[in-house]
Amino acid sequence: MIHAIHCTHCDEEAVIALFNDDDIEKKDPFCCNGCKTVYNILHDKGLDDYYQIKNNSKAYKRRSPVEVKNEKYNYLDNDDFLNEYSYANKDGLRTLEFYLEGIHCLACLWLVEKMPEFLEDVEVSRLDMGKSVASISIKPSGHFANIARELNNLGYRPHPLKRNEETIALKQKEDHKALIRIGIAGAGAANTMLFADFLYGGADGAYAHWFSLSTVVLSLPVLLYSAFPFYQNAWNAIKTKTVSIDVPIAIALIFGMCFGFYNLINGINHNYLDSLTDLVFFLLLSRYFLKKVQEKGLSANDLNFFYQSTSVLKKEGEEFIEIHPKYLKINDLIKVKANEIIPADGVIVSGESMLNNSLLTGESLPQKVKVGDKIFSGTQNIDNELIIQIEATDKNSRIGKILKQVEDGWIQKAQIVELTNKISKYFIYTTFILAGILFSYLFLQGRINDAFSRSLTLLIVTCPCALALATPLALTSTLSKASKKGIIIKNDEVIEKLSKVTSVFLDKTGTITYGNLKVQNFKKTSQSSLPLFDIIATLEQKSLHPVAKALREFATENGATQLLPMENYIEILGVGVSALIDQHFYEIKNWKLLQDQQEIASFELSDQIRKDSKAAIDSLKFLEITPKMISGDNADIVNKIAKEANLDQENIWANVSPEKKLNLIENSTNAIMVGDGANDAMALSKSFVGVAVHGSMDISLRSADVYLTTPGISPLVDLVIISRETMKVIYRNLTISLIYNCFSVIAAYNGFITPFIAAVIMPISSLTILLSTVIGTKELNTRLRID
Amino acid sequence: MEIIYFILPLVMGLAVMFVCGFIWMTKQGQYDDLETPAHRMLLDDQKLTLKTLNINPSINDLNKEKK
Repeated sequence: MIHAIHCTHCDEEAVIALFNDDDIEKKDPFCCNGCKTVYNILHDKGLDDYYQIKNNSKAYKRRSPVEVKNEKYNYLDNDDFLNEYSYANKDGLRTLEFYLEGIHCLACLWLVEKMPEFLEDVEVSRLDMGKSVASISIKPSGHFANIARELNNLGYRPHPLKRNEETIALKQKEDHKALIRIGIAGAGAANTMLFADFLYGGADGAYAHWFSLSTVVLSLPVLLYSAFPFYQNAWNAIKTKTVSIDVPIAIALIFGMCFGFYNLINGINHNYLDSLTDLVFFLLLSRYFLKKVQEKGLSANDLNFFYQSTSVLKKEGEEFIEIHPKYLKINDLIKVKANEIIPADGVIVSGESMLNNSLLTGESLPQKVKVGDKIFSGTQNIDNELIIQIEATDKNSRIGKILKQVEDGWIQKAQIVELTNKISKYFIYTTFILAGILFSYLFLQGRINDAFSRSLTLLIVTCPCALALATPLALTSTLSKASKKGIIIKNDEVIEKLSKVTSVFLDKTGTITYGNLKVQNFKKTSQSSLPLFDIIATLEQKSLHPVAKALREFATENGATQLLPMENYIEILGVGVSALIDQHFYEIKNWKLLQDQQEIASFELSDQIRKDSKAAIDSLKFLEITPKMISGDNADIVNKIAKEANLDQENIWANVSPEKKLNLIENSTNAIMVGDGANDAMALSKSFVGVAVHGSMDISLRSADVYLTTPGISPLVDLVIISRETMKVIYRNLTISLIYNCFSVIAAYNGFITPFIAAVIMPISSLTILLSTVIGTKELNTRLRID
Repeated sequence: MEIIYFILPLVMGLAVMFVCGFIWMTKQGQYDDLETPAHRMLLDDQKLTLKTLNINPSINDLNKEKK
């Protein structure tokens, strides 16, 4: 068996390994140019320790190869922008927060936080690894654009986050409050237990009275302050006439408190306060952990602050100045260079070029545009400079309208009632009916004291704490597993939904395929006087056209060794290139290479299927989920890819407009939509579960429920496995807790439950749930092969 | 056993003190980021390579001598 070569920088498998020119022994392979560039930058700066630290530390998240993006980030120094996004510190520094793509291990922390040592203006650089958010403070003389460029060079693509001190302070205050609630609950519960212990141990007389008074005093801050969120949630649920698990918990807590006071006043030195404070502590803790895990990665909230990270050249007088697209107006003239994204809808007033529409429409081949043509924001200009007159910006542009529909659709998205809340509804009715029956039965027998105490006991001991623990515990471990696998889940409802999924709609361009052109079926038809691949590399060295890019890569992969001297180079847009090399006239046009008008080679170009797509689709079939493909591309290409991906003929749709995609999704039940482009956004937001793949547009990220941070669709298979296993654990946990509750109801009916028995049973039921979850997590680890 | 009347308030006082300490620490931001500082302290001494070589040649020599 041949060992796969892994990239020195990102550890991904290097299919075609690249090496530095001076690396003669070929010791440091790279998977792509991006990784190679970053490696060399680090080396030049003397930051080689990065690799040592990386190899010594356990990877914290998976990282994918570095994408080379040439952004200038000049808009970061725009005053309007700075006022809106950054804030001034007390000591004269200015702070801006960035979400950094690609933060994955200890070495990243080292690199980002060492910035003040190799960048002049950076004063403080702090990274929160859990959130991948760096907070960077610079001197007034510094420029954020420089820093963003540097971060980009190091392979962490920065996205400025809109933060100001108020929102940060507010968020922190909430976090602190939650922690203090837990702290007080912990201290209160532990001490209450201690004093209750003396009571169970047989303290009597004046001591017993003092001890029980102590339990009441100690439990008050827990039941009044720490447990406040339960009362609040319960009240909200009652107000909206829904039921949540917090309702029965609040009921048990309130009755427990009354019972405690009543007994204290009547000189009965027993109460349930130790068990109840205990449960408040456990519940708060489990919910806190769940919240912390959810905040890992990019939260849905942060996504709304995501700034479109591009700048645009606007004509002002005779010159073009760099501004942010947000400040564009109708009738402005803008210049869009090669490889830039068109920032607004408009008409071309000068220049002609090729446009890549794939993100907007799903077409994989570029389209030619000329003066007078209307072009849309979100498309990419491929090879020539264009001057565009703006016709619609922001909300009025085609993409803006889609975005608006997405936002509206978001609100209408089908909600499901979560399993625990569904159960808690029946739970409440059942316990109240049972308590009522018990009360009237004993009351009619004339045992009034018994009637009160036993029915109250019933309500207290059936407090569904294990039930309330079941879901958060399972989800906490699941979400952290998922984020380790590079899957960011925006809300935990998705897990329950995913386990019910029966079919999955996959977008073609960029999802099943790579989303860029590759050379295929290269045929050498006759002899050339010079090495064939050298000729191709020479001819295509200057063109920015995607065909040229594909051919260059193809030539390099096939062993082009040198660039030959050429003369009379001409590129005709949309046709091809020609030049004179060694007194022969060479042309590349119509997917053919010609030497003095004679064909010497032919090739085909197409967007290729990702190497893991077929395996992922087969796995989905194995999991009994029907994979379906919808694409805006033409039928020929779609059929070809479908065949390669092993998709059934009846499950593919070609030439589908964004609106039709939406329609298809709306008419199918329990289907996942997976996509990346703007044309998928509406479908993503309306679908049962929307998944945005790596490299998606901002708009798709916003509308999806799940975001895959590693390329390809194979994480989707993990996602389905994770959700199914998690639901298994949740079902098991719920069953266990219901069994405990049945038992306590029977015992309470017969008057067996004393505060002592409750103090034993209630924590044990919670521990069983914990154990069941731990076992479930172990099982999940083996299925996902995580150590 | 009368000592209990002295111990009891003392114990409660201690508990309250610790809870106050916890509240203070939380408000100071000690628990804001539980992940990064644990890693950060491992790297505090790790200077940039170039600087390590230039500024601290003596440490390198020392290590060699030890070997």
